[in-house]
Amino acid sequence: MKITILYGTETGNAEMLAEDIQAELEGENEVDCLNLSDMSPSDFDASRFFLLVCSTYGDGDLPASAQPFAEAMNAEKPDLSAIHFAIFGLGDSEYDETFNHGPKKLAELMLAHGARQIGERVAHDASGDDMAEDLAFPWAEEVIAQAGEALGEAA
Amino acid sequence: MSGKIAIVGAGPSGCFLAQALLKAAPGLEVDLIDRLPVPYGLVRYGVAADHQGTKAVSRQFARVFERQGAQFFGNVTLGADVTLETLRAAYDAVVLAAGLSQDRPLAIPGGDLPGVHGAGTLTRALYDHPDACALPDLGPRPLIVGNGNVAIDLLRLLAKTPEEMTGSDLGAGPGEWLAGSGIEEITITGRSPAAQAKFDTVMIKELAKLAGVSIRVIGAGASDDPVEQKKIEAVQALDGIATGPRRITFRFGLTPLAVEGETSAEAVRFATDQDEEVLSCSSVLTAIGFGPAGDLPRDALLADARDAEAGALAPGLYATGWFRRGPRGTIPENRADAQALAARILDDLKSDPDKPGRAILADLAEAVDYTGWTRIDAHETEAAPEGRCRAKIATRAEMLRRARQEERPK
Ligand SMILES: Cc1cc2nc3c(=O)[nH]c(=O)nc-3n(C[C@H](O)[C@H](O)[C@H](O)COP(=O)(O)OP(=O)(O)OC[C@H]3O[C@@H](n4cnc5c(N)ncnc54)[C@H](O)[C@@H]3O)c2cc1C
Ligand SMILES: Cc1cc2nc3c(=O)[nH]c(=O)nc-3n(C[C@H](O)[C@H](O)[C@H](O)COP(=O)(O)O)c2cc1C
Repeated sequence: MKITILYGTETGNAEMLAEDIQAELEGENEVDCLNLSDMSPSDFDASRFFLLVCSTYGDGDLPASAQPFAEAMNAEKPDLSAIHFAIFGLGDSEYDETFNHGPKKLAELMLAHGARQIGERVAHDASGDDMAEDLAFPWAEEVIAQAGEALGEAA
Repeated sequence: MSGKIAIVGAGPSGCFLAQALLKAAPGLEVDLIDRLPVPYGLVRYGVAADHQGTKAVSRQFARVFERQGAQFFGNVTLGADVTLETLRAAYDAVVLAAGLSQDRPLAIPGGDLPGVHGAGTLTRALYDHPDACALPDLGPRPLIVGNGNVAIDLLRLLAKTPEEMTGSDLGAGPGEWLAGSGIEEITITGRSPAAQAKFDTVMIKELAKLAGVSIRVIGAGASDDPVEQKKIEAVQALDGIATGPRRITFRFGLTPLAVEGETSAEAVRFATDQDEEVLSCSSVLTAIGFGPAGDLPRDALLADARDAEAGALAPGLYATGWFRRGPRGTIPENRADAQALAARILDDLKSDPDKPGRAILADLAEAVDYTGWTRIDAHETEAAPEGRCRAKIATRAEMLRRARQEERPK
């Protein structure tokens, strides 16, 4: 499958995870990895499956590298109805009121423009016991299996 | 691209810089030199013991050594074990990322009385920094001067019950000190109105979870600005929280004029909008910023800098992080700063193959390498007692023994 991993980060944890996921998936798939700050809404390509990895900042906000993308989406209002994505979130339960709200907002932004979400949003907790990749690798495998059917149907 | 780069200070700025340099140019020789036998700077010794999620950024830094090939030279102090001139002669580029560790003094009459403690001094002692002094007796009513995130960290730690430190890496000694502090009341004072206080709103919201406190907020004020409004609302929301006996009082718009007391701090006299006000206390904790440790000629270097804003001090000499910018900004800002500086260094870099690089550090018998740190790290995590994620080694000598895998002397 052709996959693009898009990450939104502020201190680099999401970037490191995105690169780990890329390394894990390569071989069986053709995988690109891109910072959301370098992604334009017009770059979405229906033949690819988009894996979003995004952290949370401030008071439940998008991290710095995802903010220009969010602004561009709101300005350009692209039609993403042919686009399939899945999303993995990073956050910290110390901020319990806004836990993983960054990826939640990013998913809502994608859905608002018609994109189709594959699988549930999974949330990593920096204060928890799990390593992000231990949650993310099984998640990626599962959403890729599901996307195979969805993208197959779409094609 | 080839080239030899020495980074002085293995805190977040130094580590992010090494990460960015080696990402762009994997062939570089990048050495991180730190005065401590352990890396990560304030991630280990500043970020609060009960904020382990924030410390998780050190997983990235570990990769800089484990996968990207940076080398660690711990227990090597610039200015004592090696001079800046020697480093500059040996490397193509030298970067000062040594942070700012000295508490800014409370420059008012009585500001140096016994019983006045700086936040850096106190947090180093709380977090088992090897150069820390003993934890002082704060008495029943400490008063905090300052309204930044560090002040809120202090407030939260002093306010917490022992049970609320579960999952932290607070050491046994500091844990007992906190549990036995006998603190009845903590007053926290800021110079600005709440609307302009430096703390982040999330830091305030976190206080709403405290399990053993009774909080009063006096004079939070009002604002028309939506961002300021949010901050005020968060502070105001704390007013009336009553989960336990330890009293916390927030005060704003108080400029300290003098610390009063015969032999030690007993009260602080403040200027208010209209008048003066004296608040009595048993100790004064200042969290009003940080300055240079004084072992490096920071002021002169910055004054003569070619381009201080970009961190370019002189040919082949750079600065980043708190050392360059001053004691402001959280970990993310250091990353952005380091990434920009990495691009600048790579632009400037002229590699001289005759420069010896790390060979000049080879004679330093007491230096701790990355493997040494992994031994310390492994020991600390394995030794963690129930309810703790780590048991920090608190002395340099013990760190060095662990790094070298030596047995304890009998
Ligand atoms: C109490 C406290 C709590 C904080 N909490 C948070 C938080 O929760 N979240 C957040 O994002 N930010 C927090 N910050 C801010 C954050 O710690 C800083 O932004 C960051 O650490 C600055 O990085 P730095 O690498 O410039 O300096 P430092 O982290 O201070 O690193 C400097 C390094 O240089 C070394 N060094 C110094 N002098 C020499 C010398 N002469 N020779 C060799 N090595 C030397 C030191 O040992 C140290 O390891 C906190 C700061 C403080 C003080
Ligand atoms: C200043 C700050 C604010 C944060 N705010 C939140 C938040 O509101 N909700 C949350 O779930 N996580 C929050 N986090 C936690 C981060 O999302 C988490 O540490 C994540 O691993 C960072 O990933 P990154 O390095 O890719 O940015 C915050 C972290 C910091 C330092």
